[in-house]
Amino acid sequence: MKIRVLAVLVLAMVVASAMPVLAHHSFAAEFDTTKPVNLVGVVTKVEWMNPHTYFYIDVKDAETGQVTNWACEMGSPNGLTRQGWTRNTLHIGLVVTMEGTRAKDGSNRANARNVLVDGKKLGAASSEGVTP
Amino acid sequence: MRDRVRLRFLIFGIAVLFLLTATMIILVAGPQGQANAPAGGQRGGEGRGRGRGAPNPLLSQPAPRLPDGTVNLGRVPGELGIWQLPYITNMGDRSRAVGAPPAPARGEGAARGGRGGGQIGGGEGTAGGGQRGGAPSEPWIPFQPWAAAFYNYNSLNNSKYDPEGYCLPPGGPRLFATPYPMEIIQQPELKRIIFILEGGTRVWREIHMDGRSHAKADAIKGETWLGDSVGHWEGDTLVVDVVGFNEGTWLDYFGHPHTNQLHVVERFTRPNKGTLHYEATIDDPGAYTKPWTVAWDIPWGANAELQEYICQENNAYLNRLTDDFGQPIIGGK
Repeated sequence: MKIRVLAVLVLAMVVASAMPVLAHHSFAAEFDTTKPVNLVGVVTKVEWMNPHTYFYIDVKDAETGQVTNWACEMGSPNGLTRQGWTRNTLHIGLVVTMEGTRAKDGSNRANARNVLVDGKKLGAASSEGVTP
Repeated sequence: MRDRVRLRFLIFGIAVLFLLTATMIILVAGPQGQANAPAGGQRGGEGRGRGRGAPNPLLSQPAPRLPDGTVNLGRVPGELGIWQLPYITNMGDRSRAVGAPPAPARGEGAARGGRGGGQIGGGEGTAGGGQRGGAPSEPWIPFQPWAAAFYNYNSLNNSKYDPEGYCLPPGGPRLFATPYPMEIIQQPELKRIIFILEGGTRVWREIHMDGRSHAKADAIKGETWLGDSVGHWEGDTLVVDVVGFNEGTWLDYFGHPHTNQLHVVERFTRPNKGTLHYEATIDDPGAYTKPWTVAWDIPWGANAELQEYICQENNAYLNRLTDDFGQPIIGGK
């Protein structure tokens, strides 16, 4: 019985981890699906570019107060447009929450799955949300 | 005794893995019935408002026709719309061969709503990567030994060298499996059909319908990224014969290879207004021991239009890409 429960759990984990997908390049080669990352930060730069839009946020460590700048990768502008993004959705100084997956190389870079802006959750048109 | 217990664990482990794989194949290949929902990433247009499973009225409407009676594979006057190409990462899952996992029934959408489109074919992030089965998991694909080895290599490194990651175009049938929308423009008066694709590096394809034969293979551009296409109608089926591919592309994200001997025969039908059915026979004696066929449905996204996608603009992925020895591909020594 225990084994069965375990098998179901393992299955659920495997299926859940099968979600992240990018159309442009290999997701698994760049991002570590075992390292989810949720960040709250202040937008410092936005690049509406192909094949990936990037935004950068300053994230303050709650304990040390140290500020780290993170690069967050999203899908391309065409995909973002279809998910309701406009050029005004992000701007410098805005506080956003990002849910995503950390880069394998350990740098402060992540693939964004969702971005919460003004309490509204937007798919980032790249990984888990909706492909590229 | 301990060995026996270990063995039992091993067998159990293998059985669980097998079960997981089989379940995943069923899970990812099964519930694709929402033809009305847009492909992954292609939200917008009509698909957005409709819930999963809600009936799509387009599926019960006949395919439109041109004034001369030919099936119209594109828009009708006064309406917008695009074909919502699905994201199919593994052609092996779409094979019609004996032993292949069941393909979705005709008339069903290849794409699922929301995030669904992305999982077709197993998805690349499976179990954190590195657990793709490679050629042994697809005994119905008639690999040549080198092609199997190539495929296994791509499975092991999570397709990090995928040409699409370099912003190069999709190869052969992959053109219709890269999840950005497409339009088909028929010009019977000019005896040609044009495919325009938002993704796949914003490419277009011209299908010659004037009865010509293929371009000569010894032309300087006798081998091209998208090949040389000649087409004709067989009843309501558009049959397109494509040769002259170069070897710069893969057949899919998972990394099924092909050679310049690739010959693709494509069959397009529009069984109803909301569905484009696509079939392709992949005949490449350079990579496979016999032809094999893949097929899927492409849902219509009413009211939607193409957008711009210029992949080459800022392909930062390439700047970070390293070879098997950890050396940068671009700008390395």
